[in-house]
Amino acid sequence: MTTTETAPVLELTDIGKSFGNIHALRGVSLSVRAGEVTCILGDNGAGKSTLIKIISGLYQHDTGHYQVAGRPMKCSSPRDALDQGIATVYQDLALVPLLPVWRNFFLGSEPTLGVWPLRRLDVAHMRRTADEELRKMGIDIPDIDQPVGTLSGGQRQVLAIARAIHFGAKVLILDEPTAALGVKQSGVVLKYISAAREAGLGVIFITHNPHHAYLVGDRFVILRQGTLELSAPRAELTLDDLTHHMAGGAELDALKHELQRIDAPDLGAVHDKEKT
Amino acid sequence: MGAIAVFLLFFAVATPFRELDSLSTVAYASSTIGIMAVGVSLLMIGGEFDLSAGVGVITSALAAGMFAYELSLNVWVGAALALVLSLTIGFLNGYLVVKTKLPSFLITLSTFLMLQGLNLAVTRWVTGSVASPPISDMAGFGSASKVFASSFTVAGVGVQLTVVWWIAFIALATWVLLRTKVGNWIYAAGGNAEAARAVGVPVNATKIGLFMTVGFMAWFVGMHNLFRFNTVQSGEGVGQELIYIAAAVIGGCALMGGWGTAIGAAIGALILGMAQQGVVYAGWNPDLFMFFIGATLLIAVVLNLWVRLRAQRR
Amino acid sequence: MTRRFTRRLSSVLAAIATAALVLAGCSSTGGAQEEQAALDTPEYKIAMITHAEPGDTFWDIIRKGAEAAAQKSNIDLQYASSPEAGQQATLVDNAIDQGVDGIALTLATPSAMKGVVQRANNAGIPVIAFNSGIDDWEEVGAMSYYGTDETLAGTAFGKRLNDEGAKHALCVVQSQGQVALEERCQALKDAFNGKTTKIYVNGEDMTSVQSTLEAKLQADPSIDYVATLGAPYALTALDSVKSAGSTAEVATFDTNEELVSKIKDGSVNFAVDQQPYLQGYLTVDAFWLYLSNGNFAGGSKEPVLTGPAFIDQSNVDTIVKYAQKGTR
Repeated sequence: MTTTETAPVLELTDIGKSFGNIHALRGVSLSVRAGEVTCILGDNGAGKSTLIKIISGLYQHDTGHYQVAGRPMKCSSPRDALDQGIATVYQDLALVPLLPVWRNFFLGSEPTLGVWPLRRLDVAHMRRTADEELRKMGIDIPDIDQPVGTLSGGQRQVLAIARAIHFGAKVLILDEPTAALGVKQSGVVLKYISAAREAGLGVIFITHNPHHAYLVGDRFVILRQGTLELSAPRAELTLDDLTHHMAGGAELDALKHELQRIDAPDLGAVHDKEKT
Repeated sequence: MGAIAVFLLFFAVATPFRELDSLSTVAYASSTIGIMAVGVSLLMIGGEFDLSAGVGVITSALAAGMFAYELSLNVWVGAALALVLSLTIGFLNGYLVVKTKLPSFLITLSTFLMLQGLNLAVTRWVTGSVASPPISDMAGFGSASKVFASSFTVAGVGVQLTVVWWIAFIALATWVLLRTKVGNWIYAAGGNAEAARAVGVPVNATKIGLFMTVGFMAWFVGMHNLFRFNTVQSGEGVGQELIYIAAAVIGGCALMGGWGTAIGAAIGALILGMAQQGVVYAGWNPDLFMFFIGATLLIAVVLNLWVRLRAQRR
Repeated sequence: MTRRFTRRLSSVLAAIATAALVLAGCSSTGGAQEEQAALDTPEYKIAMITHAEPGDTFWDIIRKGAEAAAQKSNIDLQYASSPEAGQQATLVDNAIDQGVDGIALTLATPSAMKGVVQRANNAGIPVIAFNSGIDDWEEVGAMSYYGTDETLAGTAFGKRLNDEGAKHALCVVQSQGQVALEERCQALKDAFNGKTTKIYVNGEDMTSVQSTLEAKLQADPSIDYVATLGAPYALTALDSVKSAGSTAEVATFDTNEELVSKIKDGSVNFAVDQQPYLQGYLTVDAFWLYLSNGNFAGGSKEPVLTGPAFIDQSNVDTIVKYAQKGTR
């Protein structure tokens, strides 16, 4: 899927955020389009989590503009962001381990029947829908009543993604969904990331694994020390470029250059250099 | 399962335990523990403790008695004011817990001690004595004691109305937990508060509501004490909070929250009630009264665990 | 405004009083002047430390008696209590450290109090025991004892049950492990010709007291007399008797306002009264006598008994009005 110049569903322009004297983010711009996976890469402390927290409404940005569907957005809570169709699946998962799958699926947005004080959960509908949605994503959970804690890590990620899609998310933010998973489980999750893209969602995929990012990404953003190191569509990058940038980019070049210089067969040069 | 074992134990050793009259007494003893245990177990499922529940009962009863007596109000008005007070205490407990994010154990331990002091000090200050004034001759006492503390006869056996209330509260709590939005939120708030918050569950409001539910139950039991015994001594209630928590835990509530049922708490209360009364019926050495209660509890809990493990292995 | 005025007035009065005292001190001899001074004894500070459960009506009456005596004799009374022996001892230590002029103490757990009483004596602070500890006060080192003998009270109760023609008495103990309560029950048992059964109830929870008694009465229909060791429990016992469908009569140790009205209407048969008001009053007054005139009762050998006195239909009318004031 190539970049089509449709209007972005979510756009950040020159976003800045500081905590006291520390600039967590400076001048970050980013746009997310429907049917596209935008990968955000970066080292620990590069500002990835601050950025997600701003997008998902947990933090307010200090400078710059945040627009959703062309309109300025000042969301003050995750609820506001959700109402705008921005759903976040956190690294530690927004699921309650002891609750059954179907209750988790509808947590916070439960469908009800009847009028107060007899308003009650529409249990049959909840169970059926949860099961259908999960099947649609291609996972088959034998017992919809089983507690989420008994599912595998990948299944849990998929459940969270399926839930976000069901509740009409336009933008799906995935925070390190593959970080804690093995190769096979990661593959499962990546499959559903592309499934979400096919369903027409704008996906923001946060990771520090360039291989995973390159498998599904349409556009890549690399953060370094709170600023943009790189922002490029897939067409302009190879996996090597990405790995290269991820590993340090320009800094790495300088280091490489220096290492090449001293990487002479004559090791004495190193000693000489050190002596001088 | 533990409940059945305790029942069979006393059924075997205590002849009077087999009488229907005795069972009604056991049901009554269980019901006053059980009504509080309903509120306390909901709160524990929601991941919080309330140590002030025991003295909260007495606070409510004292307040109703004193309001009614000192202001010469209909006792129903006194009861209504006490309800407002109990809900306020619950609200404050909850508000402090969600705002300070301190463990509810600490917050409610503080309110427990403060209430204990206030019960005594305010009662003495208002009435010049340490018990609430007798209100049995006041307007509304008759109808209030019908609602909170009357008994009726079924097949020749006197049954306390609190037993019926208890069952009603269990049914209501079970329905709320399993079949309503709020029930889902309670489990989620106790199971993983952060996750629940992230998907838009009003966790703080849920927790405050749960503390207020405990306040309501404390009010109800307080009214029962007041209208059954006419006066209430201000030093009572200390130590009862642990009985309520014990009932909830015996019934399978997780100490860390997120798991449990209202019916479980009811069974826990029933075990406690049977143990307390069974020792009396059996006529065992009264010096060892507490020991027997403790031993019965231990047996019930271990048996429950054993059955659960067996079931899982299968 | 008014308060400030009152304060100013009182400070003026205090100045005048001081001047009068100084003048009195100046005059060398003279009976009349001496007497005048005796009435204006300096303010003594007395600590009263009991083992009361907070909020028990019985102790409230003791405290009222003590406060009445304190007010009359210009005594600054400091009341404190803890049912835990260790904490009670700490409270006594505390009073010694404050340098009070006298300590009134209940000896529910005599052995735990021995050390602190010794400490008080060493510090020259007189100690008077009251309410409980009739067998131990001398040994512990108290100057006098005001109260009843639990054994006497229990015996009187048992004999009264014989007169009433009772066959099987249930002795209701509201707190486990308290010497005084155990003694009452034991003495009742020894003096009573019929059978005595003892039962412990949880005094912290009235509903449990009610249902436990009800259970006991159902379990053993031969019980025809319920003897409670505290007034509030007698009132609850009435309820238990009714719901158990038992015909047992109720009588109790100690009284309070409501209990007196129950004696009047005949639902409670009698109460053995140890006159708590008298205990509190006499104990505090004893300090005044000792501190201002060196008197002490009982010659450090004999206790001063405040009971047992019976309250029943025959004398309840005179007591009702005091009970309503909360002093009987």
